[in-house]
Amino acid sequence: MSGLIPLTVRELRKWYRNPVFFIVGLLQPIFWIALFGSAFDITRLFSEIPASTGIVSPFAPAPNYITFIVGGILTTTSLFTAMFSGTSLIFDRRLGNLGRFLVSPIRRSSIVFSKILSTTIRILVQAIILIGAALLIPNGLVLAHGINILDVIIIAAALIMVAFSFSSLFSIIAIRLRKQETIFGIINLINLPLLFASYALFPSGLMATWLANVANYNPVSWSAVSIRTVIEYGNVMNGSQFNSVMLYLLYLFLLSLFMIILTIFLSEKEIRD
Amino acid sequence: MSAGNCWRNITMESNEIIVETKDLVKTYPGGIKAVQGINLKIMKGQIYGFLGPNGAGKSTTIKMLSTSIKPTSGTATILGYDIVKDSMNVRRVIGVVPQDLTTDEDLKGIENIEMVARFYDIPRKEARSKAEELLSLVDLSEFGNKYVSSYSGGMRKRLELVVGLVHSPQVLFLDEPTLGLDVQTRTKMWDYIRKIRDDLGVTIILTSHYLEEVDSLADLISIIDHGKIIVTGTSDELKSNLKGDIIQVEFSSEEDARKFGEYGNKIDVSYPHPNEARMKVKDADTELPDIMKYLVANEIKPLKLSVHRPSLDQVFLEYTGREIREEESGDVRRSELNMRRLRR
Repeated sequence: MSGLIPLTVRELRKWYRNPVFFIVGLLQPIFWIALFGSAFDITRLFSEIPASTGIVSPFAPAPNYITFIVGGILTTTSLFTAMFSGTSLIFDRRLGNLGRFLVSPIRRSSIVFSKILSTTIRILVQAIILIGAALLIPNGLVLAHGINILDVIIIAAALIMVAFSFSSLFSIIAIRLRKQETIFGIINLINLPLLFASYALFPSGLMATWLANVANYNPVSWSAVSIRTVIEYGNVMNGSQFNSVMLYLLYLFLLSLFMIILTIFLSEKEIRD
Repeated sequence: MSAGNCWRNITMESNEIIVETKDLVKTYPGGIKAVQGINLKIMKGQIYGFLGPNGAGKSTTIKMLSTSIKPTSGTATILGYDIVKDSMNVRRVIGVVPQDLTTDEDLKGIENIEMVARFYDIPRKEARSKAEELLSLVDLSEFGNKYVSSYSGGMRKRLELVVGLVHSPQVLFLDEPTLGLDVQTRTKMWDYIRKIRDDLGVTIILTSHYLEEVDSLADLISIIDHGKIIVTGTSDELKSNLKGDIIQVEFSSEEDARKFGEYGNKIDVSYPHPNEARMKVKDADTELPDIMKYLVANEIKPLKLSVHRPSLDQVFLEYTGREIREEESGDVRRSELNMRRLRR
């Protein structure tokens, strides 16, 4: 795909050369984990109930709330970063850069995929820093059963597929758009339901039944639960847990594949200055 | 001389056709007819200028030829490649400097050129040396490693000019190359444009609504208005086509002007200044002695007597029925916008 590498290099340069953008992008998810995770440690409510009562914490086996939500925070960070890749396309259009790309003999889709690819790279860097921060926080992330290379691959795969799906979606929206306000509006509209109608922050047992049912179809849940299972069980994951993770990853794979095909099709045909 | 065949009358360095269009039409959604059937042939090595007011269809024509937008109907080929069916090949042989700035402010000057070089699969090392060569062509060598955001408006335009040249295109499209630049920077840009044609042998197609610009640069000019080519010719041909000079006489009183009014029917009665008289004559050199004799015989003392050879301004007026300046009001807003972008 000609043009993809130089365009992705451009995106990454613009990212790491802008210290405010770079640091804010990293700090915000850390705040989520450190502040929301620590301030809202609802696992404590259950830890004080004696085991003899037979009540099992809906957060089990996570020893604390941070361990429970890391998968969710990684996923939503990925989601939010991905949603903004559409605005970058609109800025290229408004600042004239897109005009140059369009008169060059590059594939139209490589313009859009450079956004998707650079977003994914940014998300992976954010994820590494986020996990590191979660491990360092007092009463933070506990990897009770260790973590192996397959677990790391599962986490990365889930995040990459969330990134691909949502940055494709928002790039498609931006393919002909001139106003970034439209994108901001859509982001504001859907980020709340995507976050709360999912298992990212709460287990299904705590949700109203109807919401838990809806959350089951939310890609954010698929990724959050996969990462959570890997973090909580690590080396002792059993066959059925592994299978459910694989099923969620398959859903994510099918979704991102569909979005990528749609993106190629639409960007080759429809992208305009 | 007519729009269709005048190109044949002109002897050029080469007779190789680089660009050819047939009934090119572009109608935008909403029914705006931007281009209404353009036919032209552009020869190798020419600087071809489209002159016309804003909204005449110049930019739309350039955008179609440079494959950014598709024509509604009609065809065009560049070096034999069809602009719709063979757009990728067209993009490989053309260079484009769009009206809007396209370089990335967050990158350095040299990085912008190198990035575009990579679009054409030019190897990294070659891209670097090409970028350095192009920067020196427009005297930007020492600014190559500076961020584009620190460039002045003129520097930014110079960079735009060479970004479009990185792959050694055979045809270069320049859409309003000096819009929003001051007069000095503009003449400097003209020098660079001539240098590109002479040193690199690139055929250049430019649009402008600055008469001086096309007059100074273009070998062949097409006046375009309402989406149609009204006339095509060299600057001299267009001017000589007007057949005549203008003589203007200024008097100290209206009475003198009135007396002179009896000189003959050559005098333009619609000329609005009461102290002056204006006439269009075939040849000022032969007319002037007669005027002098008349003035002396009638004891009229003129304050000032001047002769105007036709300018492209008048050519424009003659063919479009309006002065290009009338269009400037709408243009001011746009160049202000552009200036704001240049300053940022």
